[in-house]
Order: sequence, then C-alpha cells, then structure tokens
Amino acid sequence: MDFVEKRLTQRAKRGDREAFAELIEIYKDKIFQLAYRMVGNRQDAEDIAQETFLRVYANLHTYDESYKFSTWIYRIATNLCIDRGRKKRPDFSLDEEVEPGQGMDWYSRLSSNEKNPADSLVTQELQETVQDALSHLAPKYRSIMILRYIEDLSLQEISDIVKLPVTTIKTRIHRGREALRSKLRFM
Amino acid sequence: MECREMSVLIHEFLDGEIDELSNQKLQTHMRTCASCRQHLQELQRAIAFVQSASHIQVSPDFTARVFAQLPTPTRKKRFSSWLRNHPFLTAAAVFLFLMTGSTMANWYERDNTLQIASSNMDKLKIDRTRNVVVVPAGTTIDGDLVVRNGNVEVQGEVRGNVVAIEGKVVLASTAHVAGSAESIEAIFEWIWYEVKNIGNDLLPVFP
Ligand SMILES: [Zn+2]
Repeated sequence: MDFVEKRLTQRAKRGDREAFAELIEIYKDKIFQLAYRMVGNRQDAEDIAQETFLRVYANLHTYDESYKFSTWIYRIATNLCIDRGRKKRPDFSLDEEVEPGQGMDWYSRLSSNEKNPADSLVTQELQETVQDALSHLAPKYRSIMILRYIEDLSLQEISDIVKLPVTTIKTRIHRGREALRSKLRFM
Repeated sequence: MECREMSVLIHEFLDGEIDELSNQKLQTHMRTCASCRQHLQELQRAIAFVQSASHIQVSPDFTARVFAQLPTPTRKKRFSSWLRNHPFLTAAAVFLFLMTGSTMANWYERDNTLQIASSNMDKLKIDRTRNVVVVPAGTTIDGDLVVRNGNVEVQGEVRGNVVAIEGKVVLASTAHVAGSAESIEAIFEWIWYEVKNIGNDLLPVFP
C-alpha cells in the first residue's frame, strides 16, 4: 500500500478525524460507484457508501495493517451491497439468475425512475443498457464484474476482497463476460 | 470442432493469462473460424461497454453527512486530540501516554523512545544513553513524574508520585517521594483515572 495511505490509516486508527476525512475523500467515489452499479440507484448507493464508512470507522481498531486498506474497505462495501439485495428480496437466492425475458428486477425498476439531466441522451441510453445488463447478473457475479471492469482491480485483489481463490474468480468472470455478451451483443 | 476448446482460450486471452503456445493455437484457429472471431469481438465490446459506464460521483456533502453520523468523541479521543493541539509538548519530548483498558492503548503508538511527563521538565537530568531520568539531589519536583521506556533515579524530592512504565524506579538514600514510587511492567496495567489526574497538571513549566 502506498505510504500516504498507510500513514492515514494509522492516524485514523488513533482517533484522528482529519485523517479519516482524507480516507473518505480518497475512497468515496470508488465505493459509491461500486454500490451504484450493484443496486442501480443513487439513494440506496449513497446509503450503502455511508454505512461502509461508518463501519470502517467503528472497526478501525480491528483493521490489520498487513492487508491493503482498499481490500478491507471494498470487502465491507461488497458485503453490504449483497446483504441489501438479500433484505429487499427475501427469497432471492445468490445463485439464481434472473430469468431471461423477465425484464427488470427491483434494482432497475428503481433506477428507471431517476433521470440524470446532466447526461446526454446517448450516454444515458448506454448507461441504462449497461446497468440493465449488470442487474441481470446474480450478485456474486455482478460484484466481481464491477470490481474487475469498473473499479479496475486485479484478479488477485478481487480474490482477497471476496476471500475466494483466484481460480473461482476467473470462472465467475468468464461466466459473467458471457452473460454480458449475450445482453450487449446487439448494441 | 475445437470451438469449445477455443472458448476457454479466448477467456484466458482476455484475462491476459494465455501462454504462448495456446495463443498461437487460438490465432491460427481464428484465422479460419469466423464464429470464434465474432465471439471474441462480442466479448471485447461487452467489456468496453461496461468500462465506458460513466463514472458517477457521490453528492458533494457526502463527507459531512458521514461525519454527522459518527459517534461523538469519547473522553479518550478528546484527550488525544488535546495532545495533538499542544504540539509544544511533543516538541519538548514531553509526552503523555498510555492508558489502558485494551481500548485505550489503541490510541497511542507504541514505541520504545523515552517518554516523560512532568511539570518540572527543566529540573530533570535526562541521560539518553542509559535511558535514565534523574531527579538530582537538592531539587524538588512538583506533582507526579511519569517515565515510560526508561528508569527513574530519584536523588532529590518529588512532591507527587513517581511512576516508571516499562522501567524501574530507583530511590537514592537522599530521595524523598511524597506519593508512591512504583514500576509498572506493562502498559496495560496502567489505569485511566490515574492518567487523568496527571493530565490535570500536565502543562509543563519551561524556564
Ligand atoms: Zn471456432
């Protein structure tokens, strides 16, 4: 981990709120981006991002500095996203793929009510298509595809975040890519 | 025939983990197989679409809203920020430290440098090579004297307690200590309320 970040986490661990604020500045957009792509709407994504930082703060004393801080915070955020999906859909199974043709699930239904006026129409259409394609992946695939292609993390770091072997990550990425291909091939 | 096998190689290729031999095999196959070429191209486009999903930003008052939800600082945190706000203490190598209860110790970096808390820093003799703080004969120290990572040798008078944490207190025959003199082996034996008392008269008097 880079030196600045290590110093910041050490200071935050000792109760230094300024250092904690700097960590928020470094990570807020990354965590928000992950949450947004997981749940598909700003409000829930902001809630999850806030909860992530509150948990980081509350558990800083348990943070083991021999691991990267990013690994730890991404793990907290990923778990919160997946937990939220479970809560909103009590019968939702992690392995369940949304049936083809069933259309939008709760994520995309929520997001379709929100329009970002700053986006151009073309960008917005692409955004919605990508978001829709992501929302059709089961969360355990969706989270990994987001970490890989939106957060731009290595296979090894993703493996550290979700605590699964690299071979499992690869398998999920392969399946995730195939699923996205079938959704996006006619774009 | 081998398109199924090629699909595995295509994914290895996309992960950047294909070996040279497999890569040659894949390239050779794709030269003659339009469907595998298309397969790869569609995968690459799908990835590009996901990557192009514009990076949205969190609302500007996000940090403030997180801070509004943080628990109010407890005594120990206020105490440590009090320390930070008085850098002259640090500058004078005067440090207040320690405390326990497992939670307290977390707020302080453990290190092995000699640390001293006293309201009469100027009267102390500090022998850094031997890590000994000496109260010279004929001098009087008002209040408590706390030393960490070193020994204390009292030849003069201390109108308070003398405490050595991870060190020893040595009393010369001329020593006079109004309070108790004690050595504390490990920092966790230290108790918060004792530190609080030191904190009250911590401000050192500089000449
Ligand atoms: Zn083929």
